[in-house]
Amino acid sequence: MSILLNRNTRVVVQGITGKAGRVQTSWMLQYGTNIVAGVTPGRGGEVVEGVPVYDTVAQAVAERGAEASVFFVPPPAFKEATLQTIDAGIKLIVVVTEHVPVHDVMEVREYAAERGARLIGPTSAGIITVGEAKMGIMPASMFTPGRIGIVSRSGTLSYEVSINLSRAGFGQSTVIGIGADPVMFTNLPDLLRLFEKDTGTDLVVIVGEVGGTQEERAAEFIDRWMTKPVVAYIAGLNAPQGKRMGHAGAIIHGDGKGTPQSKIAAFKEVGVDVASYPADVVGLVRKHLAP
Amino acid sequence: MKLYEFEGNELFRREGIPTPEYVLAATPQEARDKVQQVGLPAMVKAQVLAGGRYLAGGVRTVTSPDEAAAAARHILGMSIGGFPVRQVMLSRKTEAARELYAAITFDDYNGTPVAILSAEGGVAINKTARDRPETVVFRPVSILKGFTAADAQQMCRGVGLNGDDLEQVSGILTSLYALFRRYDALLAEINPLVRTAEGRYLAVDAKVEIDDSSLYRHADLHLNPLDRLTNPLERKGRELGVTYVELDGDIAIIASGAGLGMASMDIVSQKLRPANFLETGGAITADLLYNVMGLVLQKQGIRAVFINVYGGINPIHEGAKGIVRYMQEHNVTIPVVAKALGNHQEETWKIFRDNGVHVVTDVSTEGAVAELSRILEGRA
Repeated sequence: MSILLNRNTRVVVQGITGKAGRVQTSWMLQYGTNIVAGVTPGRGGEVVEGVPVYDTVAQAVAERGAEASVFFVPPPAFKEATLQTIDAGIKLIVVVTEHVPVHDVMEVREYAAERGARLIGPTSAGIITVGEAKMGIMPASMFTPGRIGIVSRSGTLSYEVSINLSRAGFGQSTVIGIGADPVMFTNLPDLLRLFEKDTGTDLVVIVGEVGGTQEERAAEFIDRWMTKPVVAYIAGLNAPQGKRMGHAGAIIHGDGKGTPQSKIAAFKEVGVDVASYPADVVGLVRKHLAP
Repeated sequence: MKLYEFEGNELFRREGIPTPEYVLAATPQEARDKVQQVGLPAMVKAQVLAGGRYLAGGVRTVTSPDEAAAAARHILGMSIGGFPVRQVMLSRKTEAARELYAAITFDDYNGTPVAILSAEGGVAINKTARDRPETVVFRPVSILKGFTAADAQQMCRGVGLNGDDLEQVSGILTSLYALFRRYDALLAEINPLVRTAEGRYLAVDAKVEIDDSSLYRHADLHLNPLDRLTNPLERKGRELGVTYVELDGDIAIIASGAGLGMASMDIVSQKLRPANFLETGGAITADLLYNVMGLVLQKQGIRAVFINVYGGINPIHEGAKGIVRYMQEHNVTIPVVAKALGNHQEETWKIFRDNGVHVVTDVSTEGAVAELSRILEGRA
């Protein structure tokens, strides 16, 4: 079992003819991902890594039955491409694209919510259901199959935590990068809810970082709804103040929220152990599970 | 990217939000010559990208051209929140009968714009919201449906405005929302929104922050983020397309990813002192890391370079070529310690090892930093 993605999920790669799209398609295929189509407007009819390319996502859905999309679309084309993807009936969109304007994220988020589509990101490292499939840019050698779910703001730290767990004999069920942009498409508690329900996951690791209030909200959710153990790591204890948490965040949430200290305190208050370093997650997991 | 008050003012005018007349001055002489254009008494205000101008003494009231020159001389010599003051704004002093607060910003968690109106302006909204929450109205906005005149009017009633006050303030709120949307603002704030003795509302301060990711579609604003970075190394980083933050230590850090960069900084800080935070983003090339090595080594007194990279989206073997090329061309003799994992890791290790970089195969950053410490101790 897993969440959101498995070996049968029919994946379309948008922006497949770009440099990153092309290279990552090859890695995803090697991992076993069921990539059925690629999309780049104006490039229909080409073949990339053996995958047929279409001009529109609607064609990829109609002709290849695509049901989930991974995005390597550059920011200026992002909004239109996303709205078309949602209109084509795709219900899961993983957005690897960096530097998407916040207003575009807010527009797409509201549009998707009204139509029951789930987006992950932006600036997501992707989703990997270990041993089955991956959508995104995560390097496969970091992961081994197992029963730990990971939700991470940072892509690279999800790799670091995963490889350390893997070396200690703790495999992963699904690992998800939610991104660290000012507004995210899917909030942390929404993914915790999926892991709580997943019969293939016994414990969840949250990798958070300074800024925003995702971790504080996650702590509230864990306190009310989670029965599975959760452990956490927060990056940025020594981050210079105000570099990540802008003025706007302070207006909405009041002073003192969004700091690593407030996140760690929120987790500890609800019984979530917080690791001092990424690899110390292993020791905290060991308190709950045997490898 | 934060805008200067005068730039915010300009956007307010474009949207029809009433602001006081103003002129800018970069010298005391200019302040003396120009103050009559706005009339006396006038305000002389420091133009800096930091809050707390009043507390720092960066805002003065003057009643004559000589006083304007003296105030400008004083303020132009100041540094506020680390920013040297290069310009002052001169504007006609407004007699405030009443001060309100208005802003549009966004809620990061719920992912919507939020309009804020308070009957009490002039102080930080966080403080008002905490001490007198009944005087503040927060209203989430559907970004697809927009913010209507009716929404604005309802907010005005919520803080006790009616009649002509409601007309004017609701108009300002809807214009502020239009500005927020048109220019991809993260914040558009008027504090204070002054009601004059004649019953006219004026935006006496303008605080606007534009989303950096949106600048490609606002070329008409002629905003260059580089102009706003006072630290030359941070500026250079921005030019290269990486995030560099200067710190006060002597261990240079190069990381691929913000989270990994912060974790590296946290771990290095335990025993050693980081010289910088640097994250490359997802577009590593040989040339980029060549330039990044030059950037982190530009700071004086660096004792070692710690490289912490993952091959996910980044071709780290390409990056490694740039790093060793820099080391060869510039005869780098301090320890360069690299932890590099993921796609192409073996190839990367080989390039590093063949060229004098100490490769750590420990998969934890703390293990790698411990190794770095041992190497430095061995040299001491």
